[in-house]
Amino acid sequence: MTLYEGIALIQEKQAVVLDLGSEYTKFGFTGEAAPRCIIRSEFWCTTERKYKKVYDYKTPEELYDNLVHMLHLLYFRHVLVNPKERKVVVVESLFTPTLFRETLAKVLFTHYEVSGVVWADSPRLCALTLGAPVALVVAVGGREAEVAAVVHSCVVLHAMQTQPLAARAIHASLAELLDEDNNTKLNLPDHIIEDIKVKTCFVVGRERAARWRSPSWPAAACDVAYPVAGRSAIAVAGRTRELAAEVLFARDAELASLPDIVLQCIMQCPIDARRELAANILVTGGTATLPGLKARLAEELRYLITQPPYESRLHVREFRFHRAPCPENACAWAGGAVCGAADGGAARATPRDAYARARRLPDWVCLLDNTPPHHPHRDNLDI
Amino acid sequence: MAYLTQLDYVKYICSCGQLKPITSLYFCRHCLKIRCGFCICHEVDSHYCANCLENMPSSEARLKKNRCSSCFDCPSCFHTLSTRATLAQPRQPVDPAGGDTKVENKQPKKMYYLSCFNCRWTSRDVGIPDQPVASGGWPERANPFATRINQLLDYYKAIALQEKQEKLERERKKFSIRGKYITLTDKTGLTGAMARNIAGLPSNEAGSSSAIANFVASQASEEVEQLPDDIYTKEVNLKQITSMPQRLASPEWQPASVARLHPVAKLLSVKRSQRCRACDHNLTKPEYNPGSIKFKIELLAYYHVPEVKIISHEPVKPGEKTALLVKLTNPTGHEMQLRLLQPEDIPPVEDREEPRSIEKSLERSLNLEKDASACRAIERPPSYAASSVVATPVGALTLAQRDDAAEYDDDTQHDADHIILWRKSNKLALRLEVTTDASAADGAPASTAFAIEYSYRNTVPPSSTAAHHRDHTLYTTVLLDLGKVHA
Repeated sequence: MTLYEGIALIQEKQAVVLDLGSEYTKFGFTGEAAPRCIIRSEFWCTTERKYKKVYDYKTPEELYDNLVHMLHLLYFRHVLVNPKERKVVVVESLFTPTLFRETLAKVLFTHYEVSGVVWADSPRLCALTLGAPVALVVAVGGREAEVAAVVHSCVVLHAMQTQPLAARAIHASLAELLDEDNNTKLNLPDHIIEDIKVKTCFVVGRERAARWRSPSWPAAACDVAYPVAGRSAIAVAGRTRELAAEVLFARDAELASLPDIVLQCIMQCPIDARRELAANILVTGGTATLPGLKARLAEELRYLITQPPYESRLHVREFRFHRAPCPENACAWAGGAVCGAADGGAARATPRDAYARARRLPDWVCLLDNTPPHHPHRDNLDI
Repeated sequence: MAYLTQLDYVKYICSCGQLKPITSLYFCRHCLKIRCGFCICHEVDSHYCANCLENMPSSEARLKKNRCSSCFDCPSCFHTLSTRATLAQPRQPVDPAGGDTKVENKQPKKMYYLSCFNCRWTSRDVGIPDQPVASGGWPERANPFATRINQLLDYYKAIALQEKQEKLERERKKFSIRGKYITLTDKTGLTGAMARNIAGLPSNEAGSSSAIANFVASQASEEVEQLPDDIYTKEVNLKQITSMPQRLASPEWQPASVARLHPVAKLLSVKRSQRCRACDHNLTKPEYNPGSIKFKIELLAYYHVPEVKIISHEPVKPGEKTALLVKLTNPTGHEMQLRLLQPEDIPPVEDREEPRSIEKSLERSLNLEKDASACRAIERPPSYAASSVVATPVGALTLAQRDDAAEYDDDTQHDADHIILWRKSNKLALRLEVTTDASAADGAPASTAFAIEYSYRNTVPPSSTAAHHRDHTLYTTVLLDLGKVHA
């Protein structure tokens, strides 16, 4: 019995794992430790004659075209396999718009004729790379920071937190600071801003950030002259380097900074999971590689827990951090690769014929999928 | 060249509703329909390295992770690296006695390193030792996370196996009615575990449970990586820090410092073959040899569909009639009858379909339903707005077959006609009249559309069963870009 299954497993084509991020796309095979490629989520659009981002769309048709072109690029330029009759593990955020999911399913099933798709949410996949039963996943990516608690492979849905505090916010604040440094409106393209951030910026400690807010500024880090082709070098002041990422930690009355949403997520979780969650934090996403970000987050969490409103309502004092066995920016992808290889993707995949019959995907927000079968409202549900 | 560098002034409407120039369209001889890159199925045909033009069988390519074993890209600027040879003097054994050195050691040895001609990066910059052989043998780095990921894989595989066994167990308990008959294993005293033992298979339960028992979950720590102490005082050398593209070129390591860049093995390229989704016939199939740019099968619209080119046109003015000169070309080896129509005059598809034989309709009904639905899902109504209307001539035009020898004839035949400007072998120039809508705004893009009805001779060898039609009447819609409206 198992022998035949073994043969079937060999014959089964290795599935691919797709993580379509807002900035970077990770794509590769299941069972491998790293994605085959990490590329920008954009493609050369021949009709508009420019690079077009996958997430730039106004109509469902435009999104469909974008996804067709992006997947063509991934399959035939980078990973070099036939998409036909091959399974796909799609790593998605739990906040992915329904239109995007449905369109991606349509593209995969009808345009590329894949045999099955595993829809896996990124917090659970990140937790999978740890092997720990309880984990608090803080994903700081391109567009949004998402905090989700994973307790025994279940995401605590009502406690999920998200704020637009990620690479885009840092880029916007960095662009402003650079304008100040150079006394002009620079209007730098996005990739140069990103390059300046990657090469020069870092996150300072809590105390130093407080001194920057006070009237007596500390001695700033060294200034950098960043050369740009076709214009004079851009001055990047030490203060800019230190404060570019401060936007993630800026607190106001709404308590919407990065450490705040982490604490709020813990606070909204069941009381017996809170201590465990605080002791199992995993910080992932491309922005988490910014030097000093994790240290600052730890520092802020340890400080804020002693302050209202958390000190009286949240009785955790110990914060511990995990290190994922993969680069931060490909953590969810690696989880997908492990998940897809472990159960062959077979048991949990939506097969093509099932999709062809239903023409829709199960979704956690949809009443059709989360109403219990004997609930009185069940009969009145209709689409 | 004009097809590659200029804007697409003439676009055809593909059967799926996309607007494409004729050079990026295909023509399926079996469905007799125009297809484009959007509505056909692409397939990987063969792998090859674009640098050394070496073919690689797909199984080998899979093993080597789609990377060429002898070509490398520069990790700094992504240009192809070249192998450079140097003469290295082998180290002399120091003889304290000062005796004569051995003669055979004096022979200098050729050593090789990689160098980028574009940015001058060399493999010596990052401390990779020179190699004694010209190609291959470069040190390979292992992924630092590979062992941990493999542990995770074993663990989750064991869990999945256990899950499956428990499920089987439950099923068996539900349905097994034991009693009446003795099973073979009872009779011979052979249990499942013993059978496994005899067959030399590892006992199942023990294997999976040991993988689960030996697994150590990731340990969280209080410590997180702190900023280096000298970060506030150290000068930043931008040349020593890698950029994002440089880091992401090797997703396994993502080096942050230039000193840790390693040569990137060149990614292979693929030759693709294209297949019609409706009938599964190949539209293009490249030759296997990577050096060849020819095709074994090449069903391009350029060889089958009459080509329309704009010679010139008067500036389009709202509410006025302007002249438009177009050239029609018959690319096929058969004479072609052409008729220009308004796009809306194309008869709907159902009317044109030939009566099918019983076998054909049976075959169709047996065909999987999902395939047809997939085809239809990709199709969408073409979206275009034509600001002007072409006055289509009533009569049919005849275009001679393509004749390569006719290129050398110089006499253009002038049929004195009010629409035909000139005629030369398989080409025909037409003078058309374009009427623009009076409400067209100044500066708005001007365009016009017309349909062509053309006769097409099918050259596919007829199959023995189905009644075969050789001559068909086909339709295509052409969209012309006439610049801007001048008020």
